[in-house]
Amino acid sequence: MESIKQNPLVKKVGFNRIVLCIVLLLLYALFCVLTGGSFLGTRRILSALNYAYFLGFLSLAVTFVIATGGIDFSIGPVMFCCALMAGFSFNIHGVPMGAALVISLVVGLAFGIFNGYLVAYWDVPSFITSMASMNIAKGLASVFTQTQSVSWPQLDGDGGWFRNLVTMNGIPVGLVILLVIAVICAVILNKTKMGRYILSLGSNKEAVRLSGVNVKKWEMSAYILCGLLVGIAAIFFVGAYTTVQPGYGDQYNNEAIAGCVMGGTSMAGGLASISGTIIGVLIISLLQEGIMALSLDKNLQLIITGVIVIVAVFADVVARRRKN
Amino acid sequence: MGEVILTMKGIDKSFPGVHALDHVDLEVRKGEVHALMGENGAGKSTLMKVLTGIYKKDSGTITYEGKEVEFHNTREAQDAGIVIVHQELNMLGDLTVAQNVFIGREFKKGIRIDDKKMNEEARKLFDRMHIDIDPTETMSRLTVGKQQMCEIAKAISHDAKVIIFDEPSAALTENEIEELFKIIRDLRKQGLGIVYISHRMDEIKVITDRVTVMRDGTYVGTLITKDSTKDDIINMMVGRVIYEDPKTQNMTPKGSPVVLKVDHLNAGKMVRDVSFELHKGEILGFSGLMGAGRTETMRALFGADPIDSGDIYINGKKVIIRSPQDAVRHGIGYLSEDRKRYGIVVQKTVAENTTMADLDDYSNGPFINKRKEHDVAEKFVKSLDTKTPGVDQLVVNLSGGNQQKVVIAKWLTRNSDILIFDEPTRGIDVGAKNEIYKLMNQLAAEGKAIIMVSSEMTEILRMSDRIVVMCEGKKTGELDISEATQENIMNMATREID
Repeated sequence: MESIKQNPLVKKVGFNRIVLCIVLLLLYALFCVLTGGSFLGTRRILSALNYAYFLGFLSLAVTFVIATGGIDFSIGPVMFCCALMAGFSFNIHGVPMGAALVISLVVGLAFGIFNGYLVAYWDVPSFITSMASMNIAKGLASVFTQTQSVSWPQLDGDGGWFRNLVTMNGIPVGLVILLVIAVICAVILNKTKMGRYILSLGSNKEAVRLSGVNVKKWEMSAYILCGLLVGIAAIFFVGAYTTVQPGYGDQYNNEAIAGCVMGGTSMAGGLASISGTIIGVLIISLLQEGIMALSLDKNLQLIITGVIVIVAVFADVVARRRKN
Repeated sequence: MGEVILTMKGIDKSFPGVHALDHVDLEVRKGEVHALMGENGAGKSTLMKVLTGIYKKDSGTITYEGKEVEFHNTREAQDAGIVIVHQELNMLGDLTVAQNVFIGREFKKGIRIDDKKMNEEARKLFDRMHIDIDPTETMSRLTVGKQQMCEIAKAISHDAKVIIFDEPSAALTENEIEELFKIIRDLRKQGLGIVYISHRMDEIKVITDRVTVMRDGTYVGTLITKDSTKDDIINMMVGRVIYEDPKTQNMTPKGSPVVLKVDHLNAGKMVRDVSFELHKGEILGFSGLMGAGRTETMRALFGADPIDSGDIYINGKKVIIRSPQDAVRHGIGYLSEDRKRYGIVVQKTVAENTTMADLDDYSNGPFINKRKEHDVAEKFVKSLDTKTPGVDQLVVNLSGGNQQKVVIAKWLTRNSDILIFDEPTRGIDVGAKNEIYKLMNQLAAEGKAIIMVSSEMTEILRMSDRIVVMCEGKKTGELDISEATQENIMNMATREID
């Protein structure tokens, strides 16, 4: 075991991520067998990917916040709020589709700024801040849409071109966009001052502050980036599932956090992996597709993600304890 | 003084790498107030923790009321009648006085707590102590002094036979101290044995009957208070050790300019009207006992804690320092006494920690220039002789001395001209200590201005060109190294201020 971990190639890719990839493949093989082969075709994979897009952006979003040592329970409802406000503006107020997409990003950004400001400058615990924003997002969307669900246009409808961002002529464009943005996130996290400061303050905020760094600014930046990514997630959610209802969205918080911590990001802050997050998201998406394909109870998904979060966090705690 | 109630004999206790107690003796009689004195780290608290079962002794015997005992936790000690009144009060502010006094052993009526009975009992207790506190008052509304009275009442209500006071007067006003002494005298009259830990020489003279002095974990001796002078006690505290190459003269070049001037600095309770000057190429030692306000002064100066009033001048120009960011911009670097918490980011590498204070100079726009970062880290690993397998090593894997070097490298990378070393060698082994000393001397010779806060007398005498002594938040003296002795420093550090 130790010798495998010391292998230079394994070290480079990361032991954790290799294990995750193996889990992903085994899971896929398992579903292929259990469904009698129907999983082999592209239909199921594309369907799983549809789920992976919005969840991927959500999970990337929360990765930055968790890296600072914070948490965000508002991402799911904020995503719905973005989709509802942008879609309602398009449907009812006649805003052009391009502008509607921008609205989605702006709403996400606004929540990010709000959360980040409270956490970084006012020292409100992120747990509390995000719980409050979750309610604000739900309430705001309900008021804005008069508690009506909002359906986004179909591909052939007016403004339906935005669906090409998800799939164009059967090509999974969404996957390309997700991967490109994931690479950008990885660059931000690992190659820039912003990423360095986010991870460092997640590990030891006081030491970074006493190095003369403006920790408030950098902590807030993580939440702003998070908000922007949630705005993007909203576009991919409606691109795949069309209709959003006000008052929902919390079910995706846990899945996004599960993808993130499974991928090796520490809930205690200071450690984060973008590639790990993406693999984690793929596992969860595959799981949800498999559960659907096998016509199992949908609530099984809730139980499994719950267990994943606990196991992943527990593993992190054990690893830390061993280090000390 | 009555018969002996408690004898600790040959108490020995080691922690990994530290011989904390080396065959220490202590004898307490009924109806005496026995002072326990010694410098920081002399082992007073450790001894009391061994007594009350927080630490397990390695060897030695504790005889209490004629029987050999060993307590496994404070609860057992408490039940036997040995109670500590801590310096920090363990009070629940939102509960009433009576609820605090009887916490954990509430009177009950069925399953309900009988508040009425608790109030009555507390009132009886206070009457016996001749103190005037309303048992139904909310704890947080009392003054610190009154809260301490409650803590003492709590101790007495445990049927205490031996009460240990750990620096009880630290937070009290003059009047409150008077009241405290009245209670202590009362307890003495009732035949309790009292151990009184304090740094305040004048109090020791007033309230105690005997003094036991400890130094570096060893027992030095016991004196009858009224037959001894303050100097006798100080001499026992500092001992007569010859230190290797102490500085004998000020090494700062003549006419060296003042780079930092602190003028009437006030910050919170622990920094009161502190003024001093620091010259280029000088090592200015800050001496004093625990809680003298040295670290607080440095934190205020560095912008880590808010300043209430006072001016700071750097190179003759007045500067405003509101945050560490401001301080760093003005060329100040701070090396904290607690490296792990305030100095390094343990999950980051040597290189990443090295550039932490100066990342802008190692970046192109938003992107970090890893090669440049790597190079500067390499440079300082070499010049400071940091022992690490490489600059990509996580700092958590380095020893204390080498972690300290990484923090030094951080400030040298930033090119800070004023370096504040707060307990620079705490938790560092002897060999590495000498290296740090050499480095500090070298930096001073290169023209850096250095402030060194240290609780170790040897370190102060060995490194400083001048020495500022603090006591209870105030500057109580300033000495050139040529006139400094352990005795006059200790005198200043224990000076009573009114």
